[in-house]
Amino acid sequence: MTTNFYIPEDRAPLPPTHAEVITTACDYCVVACGYKVYRWRVGTGEGGMKAHENAFGIDFPSYALQSWVAPAQHNVAMHNGQPHHVVVVPDKDTTVVNKTGDSSMRGGLLAQKVYNPKTGTRDRLTSPLMRIGGTLQPVSWDLALEVAAELGKHAIAKHGANAYSVKTYSYQYIENTYAITKYALRHVNTASFTFHDTPSDVTSTPGFRDAGFDNFGPSYDDWGGADTLMICGTDPYETKTILFTQFIKPAVERGMKTVMLNPRETAGIAWMKKMGGLHLDVYPGTDNLVLGAILRVIVQNNWQDQDWIDNWVNNQWESSSGFGQGTRNTPWQWRTTWGKFQTKGFEDYKKWLLDQKEYEPESAAKEAGIDVAKIYKAAEMMAKPKSDGSRVKASIAIEKGFYWSNNTGNTNAISTLATVVGAGGRPGRVVGRLGGHQRGGQSGGKLPRNKSPEKVPGRRRRALDTDRWLYSGHTRFAHVIGTTWIQSMCGSQQLAKKFTELTVNNPNQVWTYDKQEIIDTLKKRMDSGGMVVINQDIYLRDPIGARFSDIIFPAATWGEVDFMRANGERRLRLYQKFNDAPGDAKPDWWIIANLAKRMGFEGFDWKNSNEVAEEAARFSRGSRKDFSMIKIAAHKEGKTLHQKMREFGTDGIQGPVFYNYDTKELVGTKRLHDTELRHDKKQLAKMGLENGPKGANVLKKELTGFKSQTGKVNLQKHPWDLFSDFYNWLKPKGDELRFTNGRINEIWQSGFDDVERRAYVSQRWPENWVEIHPDDAKARGIESGDQVMMYSDRVAGFKDTILGIGGKDFQFADLMKNGHIELTKAAVTAVAMVTPAVKKGVLYANMMDMRQPSNALAARVVDNISGNYNFKMGVARIRKLGESKYKHEFRSFSFAPRNII
Amino acid sequence: MKIFGSERKTVDKETAVEHGKCMLSRRKFLMYSGATTAAASTVSISLFAGSAQARQVPARVVGYPRKLIGKLSELKENQPLDFNYPDDGPNTIALLVKAGVKCGGGLGSEQDVVAFSYMCTHQGGPLNGTYKVTGEHRTLGQCPFHLSLFDVRRHGIIVSGQAYESLPQVLLELDGDNIYAVGIMGLLFGRQQNVQGDSTISIGAVGQPAKVS
Repeated sequence: MTTNFYIPEDRAPLPPTHAEVITTACDYCVVACGYKVYRWRVGTGEGGMKAHENAFGIDFPSYALQSWVAPAQHNVAMHNGQPHHVVVVPDKDTTVVNKTGDSSMRGGLLAQKVYNPKTGTRDRLTSPLMRIGGTLQPVSWDLALEVAAELGKHAIAKHGANAYSVKTYSYQYIENTYAITKYALRHVNTASFTFHDTPSDVTSTPGFRDAGFDNFGPSYDDWGGADTLMICGTDPYETKTILFTQFIKPAVERGMKTVMLNPRETAGIAWMKKMGGLHLDVYPGTDNLVLGAILRVIVQNNWQDQDWIDNWVNNQWESSSGFGQGTRNTPWQWRTTWGKFQTKGFEDYKKWLLDQKEYEPESAAKEAGIDVAKIYKAAEMMAKPKSDGSRVKASIAIEKGFYWSNNTGNTNAISTLATVVGAGGRPGRVVGRLGGHQRGGQSGGKLPRNKSPEKVPGRRRRALDTDRWLYSGHTRFAHVIGTTWIQSMCGSQQLAKKFTELTVNNPNQVWTYDKQEIIDTLKKRMDSGGMVVINQDIYLRDPIGARFSDIIFPAATWGEVDFMRANGERRLRLYQKFNDAPGDAKPDWWIIANLAKRMGFEGFDWKNSNEVAEEAARFSRGSRKDFSMIKIAAHKEGKTLHQKMREFGTDGIQGPVFYNYDTKELVGTKRLHDTELRHDKKQLAKMGLENGPKGANVLKKELTGFKSQTGKVNLQKHPWDLFSDFYNWLKPKGDELRFTNGRINEIWQSGFDDVERRAYVSQRWPENWVEIHPDDAKARGIESGDQVMMYSDRVAGFKDTILGIGGKDFQFADLMKNGHIELTKAAVTAVAMVTPAVKKGVLYANMMDMRQPSNALAARVVDNISGNYNFKMGVARIRKLGESKYKHEFRSFSFAPRNII
Repeated sequence: MKIFGSERKTVDKETAVEHGKCMLSRRKFLMYSGATTAAASTVSISLFAGSAQARQVPARVVGYPRKLIGKLSELKENQPLDFNYPDDGPNTIALLVKAGVKCGGGLGSEQDVVAFSYMCTHQGGPLNGTYKVTGEHRTLGQCPFHLSLFDVRRHGIIVSGQAYESLPQVLLELDGDNIYAVGIMGLLFGRQQNVQGDSTISIGAVGQPAKVS
């Protein structure tokens, strides 16, 4: 922990020429910039100012864009038990991603992440802990693992595998996620499993999946290759910083136009506007209407990309293909039975679209709170043919502000818009997510969805909602890995209350030194309807670890173990170990393996990280980050997978990776859905694919087509009425304001390190904050720097695990009518920032301040179709509590608007 | 000679606890001592601010040159004046501005005269010409390289963007009408230490946690 008491230093050591150089990539956002770690023993000197005296090989003072060491980029760490200087700086030599060594503030401060007991990292977990007598006390690994395994076995034997709930990060390195999913899904075989950002293990972007779009098909070059780039629900400068500064910004400077769908105007959006971009400043949750209206203008003007549609959109037969054959077990096949989404092709879609009154531009603009002229302008920018008749090259990027507002409806609509403007399968005409966290998931098992007791209307079971499962008392053993669970879900104060009831308030608490008595007590807790919680993490989190966990396992992380991971363009790198893990902390795969062995599971005998990665490799076959062939090539060369990965350095290689058996070369994949690649004989020959896949290579249709039943795109309808009942219920009443939340450049995807461990970051963002429009603030007597209370007495919480029989059983209106929704209160404090950067009528707060979690105000109601939360949808009132200390001091915080350009 | 003295009352109000912490705790930087030597400049600082023992003492800024950079009476509101500091070498370009609103570390009766490095602490982008007035706010940026924006009123803290340090603030001293630069808070981009050629000075703030050894 750190305070915001930050004193800038005015000196930093330069790495000497004898410093070792270790490559890695940033631990945080999806972009994953390449970094170099310079490491040298304390006491062996420092680099000098002359080029030949330092490891950078340049004279100091250095010039703009050259290497430099900011004081915060230096630290002292233990390596092989000896103190070493470490300097962690962006790699100036990399030719990809952060070309020329660009970096965000988050990555720029990576050196501060390194464990050093004299810094804010001093509270790293260094030993297993067990709650005895109400206190978490250090215990041996053996005791902690044995007790956990006995309790886990009991939960499964007595209450069924679904009573063993696993809530885990999805991204924190391939080795770990493989081990965790192998354990949870293949061996525990629980349906009560999900990842950090969703209550159930479901796709993040249902519309993309049904269309046939991979989330991460494009390469970063593609994002700068369009004439018009539409960006929905994110400012990539804030949250994909280097993707913006290295790819999008230069393209905009060359003339690329941008269309942005976002309720806020942040730095990147303000800059893009200045450069001719169009900002559709919609109310949260109205994107679907605006997109429908844009589509309507396009088709009414006949501006659709007819050639693309003729060649790449499924017709009626193709759209329904697969019926009557086999189990009808793809999401798309199931959804086509409902009549809600499927079309018979473009003309059928067009007819539907023009029949929907809500997509008339005037009507959509009114509901979204925007000038209707912007809808016409957007349609022109994206689809109006140029004066010579040629088409505008349009690309579309989406992220959470968009797909966590109306998860299914928005992703259906954007997929259709993309297809109509010809985006999706050609360089500079792409569609995809820009990404949040990095892509480190590698499944070692399959979710046993058929064991889920919940089903949606029709025959299909739905992945179990772990929050509602817990809330209705079925979870007896909660295994939580690298996530806060509570603050990161919606209606989080409801969840916190339920956790308290199931753990702390259960009478069966441990007050003994005796192992068997500990086990018996906690078994009694589970049998009496209570819950045991075990938690793996790098810090003790409050409340999941600090208040609710019975056993804590200390995890080793970035820089402490060799790990593999991919970024948002499927680029795989090795994140190398360069310092010792603190105390007894172990990588999550090791913790899982040792727990699994005690549970009696076989196949967990890995000796090191590489062995896990090599086992995981075959399960990656055919996936977007297929690295199986890297292992095969490595073994042919007498190397391990990790050794081979190390050779790729910070440049890495883009998955899926192919091995050319003739040239003995590994060749990466620039983009998926690359319909032009099928005609590029030279590149196909290089990849060894000119006559189809050879040897162990796996070639999937999404390489040169789409990920649908046919390889062509499913053009979908995007009905508003699946969402409108919820949307209308949520609309502000009285003095309520729309409440939404999100990320901010300096502090996101680094939340497990930044504001709590880095004095400078804490100085900038010492507390939760909320942006409020000047008019709304004035009406409530609120000024920048005031401490405010955001509160609501209508936080909707979906509380039951139900069976859907009738077609509308999961509609919000029916859930409400049938008593499955409870309304609770929530209150979150914050420091007010009065700024025109947020839309009038909308409050925007930090998505996840651990102490003042904004998600408490977001409705805990899952998307009707997908099962995801719409995190961005909430409603709240706000009032002044007083003045925060930041209002009149100058040392901390800043109330300057983010859209000053 | 007027060294902060006449402004003490107003200074105390803002500097009190918070501002005092920020400016004072750099004990290796500001050696509070009544003695003077030829190499050191003196500024007045608040000791034990906010407490009953609060008092103003002259302090020495060790190792930094004392450089005349302008005259208070000649500063026009919101019209920055450029200067180099602590030497005329690379990466020393800085601005002096009378912001017209109270600023952290501000000099003069309005506490509104501040000075900052022009070099973005991200990758050394030039912030020249980016000083901006937006209502009560005073900012430097967006940096032309990667759009970082800094808050002039709040010791150069990042508003939005990439930089991992505040914009280095040049410490000022008022002597009559003369404004002197006497030190820097934070490291100038591209430098290993602000004052070149003497490795015995400015060895890091005490307030920053020591390293493992």
